[in-house]
Amino acid sequence: MGNHNENLIVLDRLEKKYGAVRALGPVTAEWRRGEITALLGPNGAGKSTLVSLLLGLRRPTGGRAAVFGMEPDTRAFRDRVGAMLQESKPADGLTVKEVLEFFRSLYSRPMPLARLLAAAGLEKEAGKAASSLSGGQRRRLSFAVSLAGDPDLLVLDEPTVAMDVESRERFWDMIKALAAAGKTVLLTTHYLEEADAVADRIVVLSGGRIVSDGTAAALKSSAALKSILFEEAGGRAPDERYALLPGVVRIEREANRVRLYTDDTDRLLHALLSGGIAVRGIEVREPTLEEAFRRLTNAEGGEQA
Amino acid sequence: MKPFLKMFLSVWKAETLRLLRSPFFLLFSLAMPLGFYFLFAGLNGPDKPLAGTTWGVYSLMSMTAFSLIGTAFGQFGIRLSYERRDGWAGLVRLTPLPAGLYLAGKIASTLGVNLAVIAVLFPSAALVYGLELSAWQWAACALWLWLGSVPFVAMGALLGAVRNADAAVGIGNGLLMALAVAGGLWMPLEVLPGWLQAVGKWLPSHAYAGGAWNVLAGGAPDLRQLAILLGCGAVFMVISTYIQKMKEAV
Repeated sequence: MGNHNENLIVLDRLEKKYGAVRALGPVTAEWRRGEITALLGPNGAGKSTLVSLLLGLRRPTGGRAAVFGMEPDTRAFRDRVGAMLQESKPADGLTVKEVLEFFRSLYSRPMPLARLLAAAGLEKEAGKAASSLSGGQRRRLSFAVSLAGDPDLLVLDEPTVAMDVESRERFWDMIKALAAAGKTVLLTTHYLEEADAVADRIVVLSGGRIVSDGTAAALKSSAALKSILFEEAGGRAPDERYALLPGVVRIEREANRVRLYTDDTDRLLHALLSGGIAVRGIEVREPTLEEAFRRLTNAEGGEQA
Repeated sequence: MKPFLKMFLSVWKAETLRLLRSPFFLLFSLAMPLGFYFLFAGLNGPDKPLAGTTWGVYSLMSMTAFSLIGTAFGQFGIRLSYERRDGWAGLVRLTPLPAGLYLAGKIASTLGVNLAVIAVLFPSAALVYGLELSAWQWAACALWLWLGSVPFVAMGALLGAVRNADAAVGIGNGLLMALAVAGGLWMPLEVLPGWLQAVGKWLPSHAYAGGAWNVLAGGAPDLRQLAILLGCGAVFMVISTYIQKMKEAV
């Protein structure tokens, strides 16, 4: 059904204000089918606001969000969307299986129970009271609940919080498999390595606006610098000498370990080796997503520009 | 899209299971009312005359009323508040299930369980004390107490709107006890101090049990009782609907 180029999510100058305070926007973006997108941003950047507008849980004060060409908060929309938001405690008095059967019964084409239990890794707990599950198991049950309607769009807010390493790995494998099967996944996370490993696309929000939108590699190369790391072999050279090397933007040092930041490591490496300073143990470092993220959002005060 | 009727039935089924498995329900809606009934009826003697009937049946109606009000407040109302706090309401909100249908399913399960409670309490008392009422009296009392529990469910919905779930528990239990004592469900209104009688006769709990007491004495619920219950039901329904709408408008 529908055409394959269909833009699944369209945000058109979407905006949310609380009184005079602007929490989000205006934001304009589009998502296609089958993409895994990580939504990153420091606290208060507008991630949760964006997610709640997208899910129709709050109403925008300007612009619009359309998903599958529909307004959010319609029944037809909810029939095709699954979401896992803040931590939730399952209702008492129901078993894991009964909770899942309840949610399955609300959708027009539910995912089979066995697949939900497998996705959550709760096969053994199917007959247990849902309220007796541990924190991590509850989180996995919430994940299974979000899949109950076999959704085309899956929205996950901090999905791996409270999960142990093993559950986390299983979880990301599942997400990749779902995306491969054509589902669109939008997630927020604080674990940048996870975003880097899983997401096809990374959208960075800061101060309620999109400050970067692209692949992890593009984000890293545009927002952060590469660096050369080495040890001084022949005593400490003054920082001024490094500053004279071509393209050096920043110098960091820790005893005799020196790190020079630049956007052209080839040229700098050449100049360094022919510059007469004795060095050893040279490493060329690609920027990490964390560095790119911090530079974009100026989140942590510890990093100087 | 899933038909409304199927969704409604799933909610009803899940909520009924939850209710029947709740230890609070078993304690406060069955064990406590039955225990107090046998205590009061036993102490006074089930055959002792009271208000044109006997303690044995009079107190049975009082304690059944107490049980059903307690279910409406505790199992329906307070639970709504907890479900919001615990995020369960948030999960349900994300499904295609309309909020009104969810509430309707919950109300239906509460009313269904209320009917089952009457079907347990009445025969238990009748068997133990060999109570003698005509079939129409049993039926009229059961029907009146069953339908009369609806305004208390509406009051429960208002309790469910209380943001702090622990506060909802305190308010709910306080209100239940006040309505029970001042409404003459523990002791007949006539033995209470005059000022409390003056307040008590206007309480919905008094009108609620009063309709059944009238049937026991050979009469029928009167217009005032009906008006108080209908009025309370309407007022609480309007207020809780209004609060619900306010919450949605963010």
